[in-house]
Amino acid sequence: MPAGTEEQRRKAFATYVMPEIEVLLRVARTLVPRPADAEDLVQDTLVRAFRAIDSFDGRHPRAWLLTIMRNAQINRTRRRRPELLDDPDGTLERMRDAEHDHGSPEAVVVGRLFEGIVMDALDVLPGRFRRVVELVDIDGLSYAEAAEVVGVPVGTVMSRLHRARARIRDRLTAAGLAPRGGPG
Amino acid sequence: MRKWFGRWRRGGEASCAEVAQVLQSYLDGRVDDLTARRVRRHLEHCRRCGLEAETYEAIKAALARRSHQVDTDALQRLRAFAQRLGEQGPAGTSTPMS
Ligand SMILES: [Zn+2]
Repeated sequence: MPAGTEEQRRKAFATYVMPEIEVLLRVARTLVPRPADAEDLVQDTLVRAFRAIDSFDGRHPRAWLLTIMRNAQINRTRRRRPELLDDPDGTLERMRDAEHDHGSPEAVVVGRLFEGIVMDALDVLPGRFRRVVELVDIDGLSYAEAAEVVGVPVGTVMSRLHRARARIRDRLTAAGLAPRGGPG
Repeated sequence: MRKWFGRWRRGGEASCAEVAQVLQSYLDGRVDDLTARRVRRHLEHCRRCGLEAETYEAIKAALARRSHQVDTDALQRLRAFAQRLGEQGPAGTSTPMS
């Protein structure tokens, strides 16, 4: 490659890619259950981004990187046989982490119960619903960014997200932790 | 008269049914200013919709709390990896990391 291009490439990589690594890791942890695989996926994404950086126009780097990650992930699932996991969604891990919350005794109990039901409800949602909740409400992506990762229109992300949260809410209501609500 | 009254009402405040329809978008900051204002006014005095809004806020907060578990070691390794990648290209990252 020409000498000038190499410097430009390095600069573009530092400007557009480096600041997004944490988000990439969060999203990767949502896409693949095993931490080591998530790290691999991010590495894969970084290498692909480096190779493609010359053709990147500098607009919406996060969306660009998430698209790359999505393609990398599709590639990996094609390449590898899906493996059986004891705890595919990290549910046990999440529950264990919930043990370390702080606050007043009642707040801890109610908060833990509330959170436990939210996470339970999330776990039983169909995958396409669960994923958008994870990407938007847990990983903090915008609707548009989540749409890039999932590969669906923004409107679809929104309707899945809203329906998913409504189902979580219904579970809380059933458990007596949310009012009955709904339009009368 | 009725039509005028309806429009006036809609300009001032959303109804329970309208709030139910846009509540999640409102809480996500995805509605226009006028809608946001009308929803906010309704939530100020309607207990039922107010509780509904609180429930969704609590769900979002519970989910957001899950996001603090970024593996800082992995993050550091990846930043170092990206650093080498940026400076030396893919060849610089081919050796296994320790
Ligand atoms: Zn109301």
